[in-house]
Amino acid sequence: MPSVPAEIPVLMRPAGIESPARRSVDTLPPLSDHDLMLAVRDGDLDSMGELFERHHGPLFGYLSKLTGNRTAAEDIAQVVFQRMIKYRHTYRDEGKFTAWMYHLARRCASDHFRKASSAPLAVDPSDLEEHADQSIGADQSAQTRDDHELLRTALGRLDRDDREVLLLSRLQELSFAEVASVLECSVGAARVRAHRALRALRDSYFQIQKENLT
Amino acid sequence: MNCQACTERIAELADQKLDRETEALVRSHLDGCESCRREFDELSRLIASLDALPSPAPSPALRAKVMGSIESEKLTLRMESEWSERMRSAAPGRPARGASWIQVLVSGLGVAALVVLGFVLGERNATQHQLADLRVRVDTMGQLVEQSVLQKRTAGDRLETVLTAARTTQPDERLIDGLINSLAFDPSVNVRLNALSALYSHADQEVVKAGVLACLPRESNPLVQISMIDFLVAAKAREASPELRKLSLDTNANGDVRDSARRAIDLL
Repeated sequence: MPSVPAEIPVLMRPAGIESPARRSVDTLPPLSDHDLMLAVRDGDLDSMGELFERHHGPLFGYLSKLTGNRTAAEDIAQVVFQRMIKYRHTYRDEGKFTAWMYHLARRCASDHFRKASSAPLAVDPSDLEEHADQSIGADQSAQTRDDHELLRTALGRLDRDDREVLLLSRLQELSFAEVASVLECSVGAARVRAHRALRALRDSYFQIQKENLT
Repeated sequence: MNCQACTERIAELADQKLDRETEALVRSHLDGCESCRREFDELSRLIASLDALPSPAPSPALRAKVMGSIESEKLTLRMESEWSERMRSAAPGRPARGASWIQVLVSGLGVAALVVLGFVLGERNATQHQLADLRVRVDTMGQLVEQSVLQKRTAGDRLETVLTAARTTQPDERLIDGLINSLAFDPSVNVRLNALSALYSHADQEVVKAGVLACLPRESNPLVQISMIDFLVAAKAREASPELRKLSLDTNANGDVRDSARRAIDLL
């Protein structure tokens, strides 16, 4: 596991100055994502560090499943956080942080796919192996492992739109109202799209199962 | 409730997210429709499998890069704030001669402002238009620092960026700014030396001379200091003489650096 390079300057907060996030750990209930993002918008950039800690894992998981490429997922996740910093002034008072974040992630992923279609990125096979390895616990059966691989393959075969709505609605645990906000459609349309995507995944899953048997 | 409306609610039923009334309607339909019940069973299993699908973890590099971006933005904000402060202190109505602006800029913004200064040297009057232009350029500096220094995880990555910039046959202003920023801010001696080396091809440009000269006082590594002095001599940067004189008399400076500075003064 590579270590964090020493030359990256990560400045420490001066003694006596606490961000809302830090203060919350000590004395107050944790601030909501929304409150933290409002603080970022108002110039408290340290709160972005707390938002990163809370959300980078699920965001990376979403992007890695969307792209099927760990390196690309990490690059896109980085861009998402950079855009959050850059466009922090556009965050609205009535905003919902996760919806906003995945909205940006969706845009960044689209940029990635557009670039990749003109100059395809080489996918390192070790990415997939590493991905698979990490999913295997000592107590997991070979059957479970096979199921996971089958499901990943089925996900990979879906249209990007279907994969996107499934990942958002299932794996990121967003409500349909939030998914609708990310996808810029009505709640009803988001629900229908998620259902169609689920059925497409099932068909793809059974199709691959059949291919494997034959 | 018809079959389509029922099956569209399967995911929410599985997640127990339906309100009581809708759930009762869906369950009632499922009780009487074998086809939908089969679909419910299949999709529920699929949903359970999807939910159990493990997610990979990102590498520690992601944290380092994002934290670097945050620090970079804080730096930019600080620079903007200082810049605004200087703008306010240099109130309108004050004699706007070049020399007074040099003092304001040098004391306030250090390296980045000096690089910018290359663009305005020779201008006797600092008009509002020029001030606006300077502000834009300082913003750009912050972004360039971010891009050329903080975003790249390893010194090797940053070195590669600098070497790529050096190979560019027709570099634009932004690229040269990036090289000067690497020379000013990069923590790696190797990267700074290569940035300086890349700037040799553009030593005839005033902005490059001013940039290297601006970087000299903040440089602490003797090897880079001597290389900068050599650069200034090669560029025939006579305006470097005062700074070189100061360096040649600096008792804290390395002996070889002081000697180099003295030789450079003679040559210039």
